[in-house]
Formats: sequence, C-alpha cells, structure tokens
Amino acid sequence: MSASAIEFQGVRKSFGLAFSLGSLTLSVPRGSIYALIGPNGAGKSTALNMLMGMGEPTLGSIRVLDRDIRHDEVEIKRRTAYVSPDMDYRAWGTVGRAIDFIRGFYPDWNAARCEELQFIFGVHRDARVSALSFGARMKLALILALSRDAELLVLDEPTLGLDAIARRQLFAELLKFMTGESRTILISSHQLTDLERFADHAAIVSQGKLLTCGRMDELVDRYRQFDARILRDTPLSVPGVSVIDRQGDRVRLLVDGDLVAADALQIPQIEVLAQVPLTLEDLFLALIKGANGGSGWWPQMSAA
Amino acid sequence: MTDAPTNLHLGPLSPASGPLYQQIVDGIKREVLADRLTAGSALPSYRVLAEQLLVSLITVKRAYEELEREGITFSRQGLGTFVAARGNDRTRADRRAAARGALRSAIHAARQAGVTDRELIQMLRDELKSQPAESNHEHIRGSAP
Repeated sequence: MSASAIEFQGVRKSFGLAFSLGSLTLSVPRGSIYALIGPNGAGKSTALNMLMGMGEPTLGSIRVLDRDIRHDEVEIKRRTAYVSPDMDYRAWGTVGRAIDFIRGFYPDWNAARCEELQFIFGVHRDARVSALSFGARMKLALILALSRDAELLVLDEPTLGLDAIARRQLFAELLKFMTGESRTILISSHQLTDLERFADHAAIVSQGKLLTCGRMDELVDRYRQFDARILRDTPLSVPGVSVIDRQGDRVRLLVDGDLVAADALQIPQIEVLAQVPLTLEDLFLALIKGANGGSGWWPQMSAA
Repeated sequence: MTDAPTNLHLGPLSPASGPLYQQIVDGIKREVLADRLTAGSALPSYRVLAEQLLVSLITVKRAYEELEREGITFSRQGLGTFVAARGNDRTRADRRAAARGALRSAIHAARQAGVTDRELIQMLRDELKSQPAESNHEHIRGSAP
C-alpha cells in the first residue's frame, strides 16, 4: 500500500483549444483531507471527473488507491464514494426510493449509519426529491456517499447550497469518517474558511495550472503578508514578492518565504509598516491575482 | 499499563482567537496545570480529538508535537500520547516565564511613554489592588477576548 491515495502523474486534459488542464502532478496522502481550491473554471471538476472515469487524461497517468484508473475502474469505484452537485435523484421520486435503489450496489452499505445521517441532515425518507431545495438534494447525495464504508471520498463542491449549520454538520461527519485509519477525502469547495480549519493539505489551481500545494499549516506559514509604504515609485523586482493591493502610497505585499530571504524587503523603494496575519483566503486571492498577471502598479513578480 | 484516553474538555475553538493548534496547546496546558490531566494519563488520539474539536488532524498533530517538544507530554509508539511526570512543573515554569515576559514588555512600554520607575511601581500596585489577590487562572483566561 503506497502512502498516496491518489496520484496524478503529469496529467494533461485538453478540450480542443478552449481549455486544457495540466500538466498536473499531485499526490494526495492517505489519511488526509485534501482540499482542491481554485476559481470557477480552474479545472477542479475536470480533475475529479477523471478520477471517477468521466474523461480520460490526454497525457499522463492517474492512480487511485494503488490502481490505474484505466484498468481498474470497477475496483476503484467499489472503494470510492463520490458526490457532485450534478447528481440528480428526482427520477426515483422519494428520498427513500433513491436510497433503496442505490444501497444495493454497495456491499459496504451501513443501514444504521444511513438512518443516522438522514436524521443529522434532516432529510426524510418520505420527502419527494423534486420538492427538495438545492441544498437538501446535496444533503441526499452526501447521505448516500457517507452511508458506505468507503476508503476514499471524492467530493466536488459538496458545500454548494448548504447553510452554515449544514456545512458544520458536513465537516463534523467528514472528521468522523476520518477516524477510520487510512481513509482519505479529496474535496473541492469555495468555502475557504472551512477548508482552512478542516483540511490537512491544499492545492491551489487556476486556469488549469497548479499554483501551489502543501500541508495547510505550512502553506499558511510559508507565505507572509506585509503592509508597506512606497518611498520611491520605481518598479519592484524581487522574485517571490508580489503586490496584492495598492492604495495611494500604501501597498500590501505577499512574500513567498521559500524564495525570499528574511531581509528581502529591506530595500530603498519601500518601508515595511507591519506584518498582517494571512488566512487561506488571503493567500488564495493573492496567488490568483498573481497568476492572472496582477492589476497593480508595479510589474507583477510571479511567485512560481 | 495504559488508561483509557482521558475525556478531554477544551471548549470550542474559534479561528478568531489565534492559531487553532496554539489554542489546543494552551487548553491542554490549562488542564495539566489544574490537575484535571495528571501525570501518566493518556490524551485522546489525533483522530478522536480532531473530531471532538472540529479541526483538521494536522492541527491536532501539530499541537501534540508542540506539547511534546515542551516536555508537557510524551508519546509511545503505538500506545499514544501521555502527560509527562513533570508536565505540571513545566507548564507552571512556562506560565511564570510568560508572566515575566509580559512584565518586561510593560516596562518597555512605560519607559517609551516616559513613565518613571516610581510611577510604574505605583501603577503595578494599583493594578494589583484592582484584581482579587487569589485570582483563578481559569477564569481570567476564560474571559479573555
């Protein structure tokens, strides 16, 4: 058993000229909650879809639970539960009928757990699926995934449509799921505050490219934010330092600690005023802005 | 040789009160200092505590590593993490060092503001008077913003 639950190895996926993902090389450690973060259209769903057999990589290979997705799709799906906002159970009429239909496919189905989850998420057997709100349909998809004893959960935007209480319940259930040894969750979501709290690792992607990845605490520690005053309005050219924002003569800078020495900001152009605590959301916004070429006054120095 | 993991009550963590791992470290130190966690007692596993506190496994792991580095706890491969025999002393020493540090920065701030030593000592007397002498650490911590 390898240390990774999922391994993307030089994966590219092209859709004509319109969009291409990759080359993506990423490994999701077993026993971790791994967050896949990126703006809409970054390629997150494309990556997750390939794990579940929806679209093959144009180049490269993907291994899931030590098996190649091209050769062992059935075995992978037997051990993996998947949720996406596109899942539609209206055809089964009621919640109960959808559950009764799905459970038969999975020998690892836990009926007691399923009952418990229906109670926790407040989704009732007798409810008509078509009458459920978008959030409640998402809860149904989550109930179906979490009622199994899967080794891997692949969750594509499972927080979509969920209110703050339901999101909290979801993450509590995900942590409960993780109490089983060597279980793994790969989750994409735009709820960065939640992910910062609950995920162990994160990868940030934009326009099909991986911008950064690593342990959540190391990512947030690696980058630092500073407020500075501009003393001399000449372009700043320190690799690993990028301008996030500017108001008059004040700038906010993002510094990549892996590329930049501690004294890198002791330069004549600026006077550093303060270090500002950095959240995952700050980091995300800064990296995306940097990747898009920035909109600032100084030429954008890419951290990559 | 091992007790069942202690049921640890640290209260809810909030990202607004600083790094989550630090809140776990502080919470466990508080329990050790108050003798609610005694030498040799087992801490919950990473996974159990993560589920109880609603934080990532890495956050709990980092807190446990920090506690072990400071000598408050020790771990045994395959058995878990336990409160060290002198964990209590270390926590107390740690607290005293933190108090002394706070005092030093207060002196620094006072000097910067041009407060004389005599005035500063008077300030300290006034402050001591305004707070009950046998103050309980727990309550002061608990009500801190």
